[in-house]
Amino acid sequence: MADPLHQFQIQKIVDLPDVTLPVLGTVDLAFTNSHFVMTLAFVIVMGFMAMVTGAAKVVPGRLQSVGETLFGMVDNLTTSIIGHDGRKYAPFVFTLFMLILAMNFLGLVNIPGVVHLFTATSQLAVTATFAVLTIGLVLIVGFGKHGLGFFKLFVPSGVPWPLLPVIILIEFISFLLRPVTLMLRLFGNMMGGHVALKVFAGFVATAAAGAVGYLGLLIGPLAFGMVTALTALEFLVAFLQAFVFAVLTTIYLNDVVNLGHGH
Amino acid sequence: MATPDPHAPAAGETHATTEAAHGGGGGLPQFQFEHWAGQIAWLLILFVIGYLMMSRVFIPRLRKVLDEREGTIAGALAQARQVQEEANAQAAKAQADLAEARGKAQRLAAEARAKANAEAQARQAAEDEKLAGKLAEAETRIRASRDAAMTHVQTIASDTASAIVEKLTGAAPSQADLNAALTAAKGA
Repeated sequence: MADPLHQFQIQKIVDLPDVTLPVLGTVDLAFTNSHFVMTLAFVIVMGFMAMVTGAAKVVPGRLQSVGETLFGMVDNLTTSIIGHDGRKYAPFVFTLFMLILAMNFLGLVNIPGVVHLFTATSQLAVTATFAVLTIGLVLIVGFGKHGLGFFKLFVPSGVPWPLLPVIILIEFISFLLRPVTLMLRLFGNMMGGHVALKVFAGFVATAAAGAVGYLGLLIGPLAFGMVTALTALEFLVAFLQAFVFAVLTTIYLNDVVNLGHGH
Repeated sequence: MATPDPHAPAAGETHATTEAAHGGGGGLPQFQFEHWAGQIAWLLILFVIGYLMMSRVFIPRLRKVLDEREGTIAGALAQARQVQEEANAQAAKAQADLAEARGKAQRLAAEARAKANAEAQARQAAEDEKLAGKLAEAETRIRASRDAAMTHVQTIASDTASAIVEKLTGAAPSQADLNAALTAAKGA
């Protein structure tokens, strides 16, 4: 059976000369399969938005309706959670959402013998970048808006003072864990789903090859049905995880935009 | 071994390449950290360009269309509401006009009826009067002709009585006797 983790292996498409940076040390520069799908996702998202807004009409066509629905979802999210200020953050959340959505969906593109696209969001480096971007914006907005008052985020109001030290510690740790959970949630969902798909597909291949004899007649169809169902589930997960990332980003932004109002 | 081994750097390089090639052998490919920097840098570049395109170009365009649509819908609704109000006002006015017209018509009808009644009464009164005059005239004429007839009757009676008396007695009665007898007969 094929190694289910092999699909996550970075493969160089074009190798570029390594560079040595002062802090990071030697960096292996190459245009890899991960770079390729990230670029493809970027091009698709930009092309889609260009087509949606290029000839935008008051009475929308089909494509424009799709674009408006997606944007309306994110726009509603930011304005309903953050309030009127949410409009300012809609572009950030929407860019994040669209890129993750495109990468998640591209990872599901698998035409046997023709193309099997890499899943960029199954790479920790990619999800970590998204998470750091989010938390970075949260920190910038927090310190930019409130200065040192940002630290009030860790002091919920209405807590009896004997509990404060514990609460502050818990709040601080939970804040530190936010980027970690953002990173791991997306990574784990994408990787887990793809590994499961690969494993069940491997069962089908094993059964078809006759390696388990007549038992294959039972295992093959079962595993095939499983792969089909999992594929459908993965499409749902691909959308849901992008949306969850957007929702959590909005909630974290709301914490610092409306600092002291919601607590 | 004072001189540096010329093969040492080459050996180091070989070692590094083999390590990179076998990096995925043990753990997850995602933990091959030598691939991280390239992906992170590329994603950051893409994200920044994407964010700028979204915030500068695409989302303003989208918002413009959405606002325009909202404006169009609000305008159309306001217009519809205004038209409806106008229609309501016109309907109310039409109703008032209708009521007024009906009142006027009723008044006119009443007036016409009253006038017709008065005329009819006046005409009837005039007719009655004329008839009464004719009646009176006719009565007078009838009375005159009866009187005349009565006079003739007396003459005839006197003549007849005179002729009967003459036939019976052979002598014509005097006029005075005849008159007395006739008056007595009339009185009876």
